[in-house]
Amino acid sequence: MVHAPILAIAIPLLGAFALPILAKLNRRARDLWAVGIALVTLVFGLAVAGQVFASGKPLVYTLGAPSPTASVTEGGFPIRIVLVVDALGAFAGIIALLAGAIGLFYSLQYLAEEEGKTLGTSLLLLLWAGILGLVYTGDLFNFFVFLEITSIAACALIGYRVWESRPPEAAFKTMAMYTLGGLLVLISVGILYGEYDALNIAYLSKLITGTLLDKLALGLLLGGLLMKAGAVPAHMWAPDAYGEAPAMATIVLVANTQAAIYALLRVVFTLFGGALATPGIGWLIASLGTVTVLVAVLMAVVQRHLGRLVAYGAVSQLGYMLLAVGVGVVAAGKGFGEVALKGGIFHMINDLASVGLLFLVIGAIRRAVGSVDLLSLGGLGHTLRWESGFFLLGALALAGIPPLNGFASKFLIYESTFKASPILAAIAVLSSILLLAVVVRAFHGVFLGPKARDVGPAPWGMLVAMGVLAVIIVVFGLFPGFFIERMVSPAVQALLGGRAAYLAAVLGG
Amino acid sequence: MRIGSGEGFWSPIVWAILALGVLAIGFAIWLQGRRTYKRGTEQEEPFLSGERLPEGAGVGATHLYWGFAEALKPLLMRLGAFHSGFLGDYVGWLLVLLVISILVVMLG
Repeated sequence: MVHAPILAIAIPLLGAFALPILAKLNRRARDLWAVGIALVTLVFGLAVAGQVFASGKPLVYTLGAPSPTASVTEGGFPIRIVLVVDALGAFAGIIALLAGAIGLFYSLQYLAEEEGKTLGTSLLLLLWAGILGLVYTGDLFNFFVFLEITSIAACALIGYRVWESRPPEAAFKTMAMYTLGGLLVLISVGILYGEYDALNIAYLSKLITGTLLDKLALGLLLGGLLMKAGAVPAHMWAPDAYGEAPAMATIVLVANTQAAIYALLRVVFTLFGGALATPGIGWLIASLGTVTVLVAVLMAVVQRHLGRLVAYGAVSQLGYMLLAVGVGVVAAGKGFGEVALKGGIFHMINDLASVGLLFLVIGAIRRAVGSVDLLSLGGLGHTLRWESGFFLLGALALAGIPPLNGFASKFLIYESTFKASPILAAIAVLSSILLLAVVVRAFHGVFLGPKARDVGPAPWGMLVAMGVLAVIIVVFGLFPGFFIERMVSPAVQALLGGRAAYLAAVLGG
Repeated sequence: MRIGSGEGFWSPIVWAILALGVLAIGFAIWLQGRRTYKRGTEQEEPFLSGERLPEGAGVGATHLYWGFAEALKPLLMRLGAFHSGFLGDYVGWLLVLLVISILVVMLG
């Protein structure tokens, strides 16, 4: 398992390109190949996480050299591909693994052959590889490369339904925004490379002192990453993308957006943690997070398109994560700052489960009825019984109703935010109540009322994928302490006290 | 399996026990009610202010929070205009976010 970090990225990447060739030979072989790739990727990804959580130290993997610092010439830091996985990276990796595996399993029976199943599955694997690379990489240029891989695959998936008018439009808008965001990241990487002649995150973190150029690089990175994380006012691509992408892709898109939250944490706490992680930046992120929560929930109120309604709900949850990150930066070193980060990081996986489940149910509804317009739906609970139960569970978890998982993480976010700013906490709580009203309306509109049409239930494979997320929602809700202690707390420690360990693991000493 | 925030704690198990207690009390109250409900009679018809309703009429999802949406209409209209759907606006707001980010970092 020494090579597990690179194999977890390389296998889905190579698997994606080999898949169309297998599809030419036999469609069943293609599906088996996709399942095999998913299983092997899961094994290597979980092995990485297991190693990191068991040892409590960052895992460093260097391509083409025995160590990151090995060089034939003296001085400087070699430019090479280095993967560094600490507890935060391992946690983000678990989220990506979960999203990719469930999305792929769901897609086997969701995608129709005549609608380009081979292309959809290939793109899904490519997006999966990109996200895993993004959270495992230890250098800035590869971070940019993986960011671009995720952007290209994500936009192709958003515009997957080329025979409809809205998906290609949503894909085009998302591509434009992702490209601009990627450019901001690239310029920032260029500035840091020009200044320090290095791209490795740990090495740069050691050198950064807070010069004017450092500040400009941080500002550009913040702009690009906040956009990709769906922060208001640059959030508008997200409802377009989530609302139009096929269901199996949307859950992976959610993981992709959460990778931007991971990157934000990595940049603020690790890369610039020694010099520039000021309370001002924390207040900026927290304020944007609160505005994101409020605006997204209010916009969800007026949606008629079920996909866009849940998409705005998903954006609001990203706002909660940003709020927690912001409070964590503002109160770094204080107890409630740590609580905020625990809440925010735990909310990442909770959000993936609840939002992912809702999008998978929407996919089943679209497949059964052919529409997701709230005005044309109703009474589906008579026939889509499992789906209605899953939707209700996901909706309640999204709104933070106890004892489901969403409440556990929001509890930590509310309590810690209240200590930083009671006004921000009050807005966050009120928005959650409003979100409950929105999702109840959606549930009522889609599943309750007299039976209007006869539709068949989703195939078993799709139901199993939804069932896995439903189990996560319940189990994480009933036993939050177990998961926080074993996965979330180490991730928070990797941010707060683990910067020195991260640097030492890469640079030695 | 409880989690602490420093100020308070959350225990799903304690909550579940309390919720079951509340449900039991509610059920006990419900049992005291009159048993006059008859299936298949006009009691199953929707009642809306005593009006005779056409066949299949009911309260739709969009009606549920009508008053709420109506009260927030001015704000929602502004937000709707803000979400114009034009890519140029998306890019413009990204620039606003970028400028704010850089200013905050520069000013510390």
